[in-house]
Amino acid sequence: MKKSTLSMMLLGSLLAVGTQAAFAAPDWGKVPKRDINVFHPAVSPMEWVGKKSDHSGTAGLKKGETCIGCHEEKGTLNFDMKRLAGKDMEPKGAPKAMMYPVAVQAAYDASNLYIRLTFKAPGGGADQGDKDNEVKATVMFPDAQVQLANQAGCWASCHNDARTMPGADDKKTKYTKNGAFELMQWKSAKGAKVANGTVTTERKMEGGSLGATAEGAKSGDTYTVTFARKNPGEGKTVPFGIAIHADHATGRFHHVSLGYTLGVGADGDVKAVKQ
Amino acid sequence: MAGKLASLWATLKKPSAKYSLLGLLMTGFISGILFWGGFNTGMEATNTMDFCISCHEMHDNVYQEYKKTIHYSNRTGVRAMCSDCHVPKDWTHKMIRKIQASREVWGKLTGTIDTKEKFEAKRLTLAEREWARMKAADSRECRNCHSFEGMDTEKQKARGAKMHKIAQEEKQTCIDCHKGIAHNKPKGMKEDEDEDL
Repeated sequence: MKKSTLSMMLLGSLLAVGTQAAFAAPDWGKVPKRDINVFHPAVSPMEWVGKKSDHSGTAGLKKGETCIGCHEEKGTLNFDMKRLAGKDMEPKGAPKAMMYPVAVQAAYDASNLYIRLTFKAPGGGADQGDKDNEVKATVMFPDAQVQLANQAGCWASCHNDARTMPGADDKKTKYTKNGAFELMQWKSAKGAKVANGTVTTERKMEGGSLGATAEGAKSGDTYTVTFARKNPGEGKTVPFGIAIHADHATGRFHHVSLGYTLGVGADGDVKAVKQ
Repeated sequence: MAGKLASLWATLKKPSAKYSLLGLLMTGFISGILFWGGFNTGMEATNTMDFCISCHEMHDNVYQEYKKTIHYSNRTGVRAMCSDCHVPKDWTHKMIRKIQASREVWGKLTGTIDTKEKFEAKRLTLAEREWARMKAADSRECRNCHSFEGMDTEKQKARGAKMHKIAQEEKQTCIDCHKGIAHNKPKGMKEDEDEDL
């Protein structure tokens, strides 16, 4: 009897904590939005980024320059989208929308860091391999050992031998040669589980330490996805990257952000507001 | 034979009794102008775009690629044609380049790149040869129009502005980065050992 009471109490507490994580979210109307453009990266894995004959900015990366330092200006990305969409870089065919903005908001309290993504997921994708989910929204956080963690966001996990890359092994996931990424992913299918994963020598969709929950909804043509994850600690600036799989896309056919930083009571490209 | 040559030399050395010194000087002067003018006109004719694309090897390959680039068509209407990039402007270097180009005549005669396939097979070798020439000359032909001093990096995209700053600090030359800007990049380009991340 006592055991059962204790179990009930424990369950109640866990539910309360869980509910808190899900519903103690801030008043988003008071949290500033930072538009981050996500784009179709075609076949431009880490090997491409690091090869000067493909990417002349390699010299800049070696000097410590960030991707956004060169490529984000005037509220957009200055890539040659025609080159990205061309057959040399995208043999399978490019999506109709090469780039679109995701409004990013962040807030934190003592226990959680909340990240809210608002976007219109475009149709016209070139790959519709995920029949269950129209949309997936993912945020990844590299640790300090990841190559170019503070410069290139998720790129260190993207390689030319990973699945859906031309000629690659269909079972090989994204991976990183050094360090690890934490990953959280929301899927639009009804009842789909929020992924709390990691990327090390392979990507795992569970076993991560973020303790992430997520809620997402579609209103009209706009998706709003709100994540709550463990607060990494006030005063910290953490690097992150976003990926949106729109129009049932799978694998590399996502729209991704470059590497950004999120300041938790600290400086960053996105500054989380204290609650 | 030796006797004939000695006789000709003796005639040449002999003062003219028939023509005035002024007449001889004027004849030499005018002949010099005609010869020099003819020579230069001939050389300039080989510098025109029409000449460069008169062979199908250039017309069907690199010319078609170049027509899609900013060096062919742009907002201001300033066009850089083949010789602007591939032939030095000053006389000495131009002569050296023209003599080197005689090798291309041999290539034409023997058909080393006379099909699309042959051209593609040789594209990397040809490109590397030209890049090496440009690098050795500190991108002299690029710098006939472009210079770091004349650049307003404020008006450039962020990526260009930052990379040009690094290029100046590291004393790089235009062709170090700007490969494949007027023609397709060859496949299988080699990387300098210290360039990869």
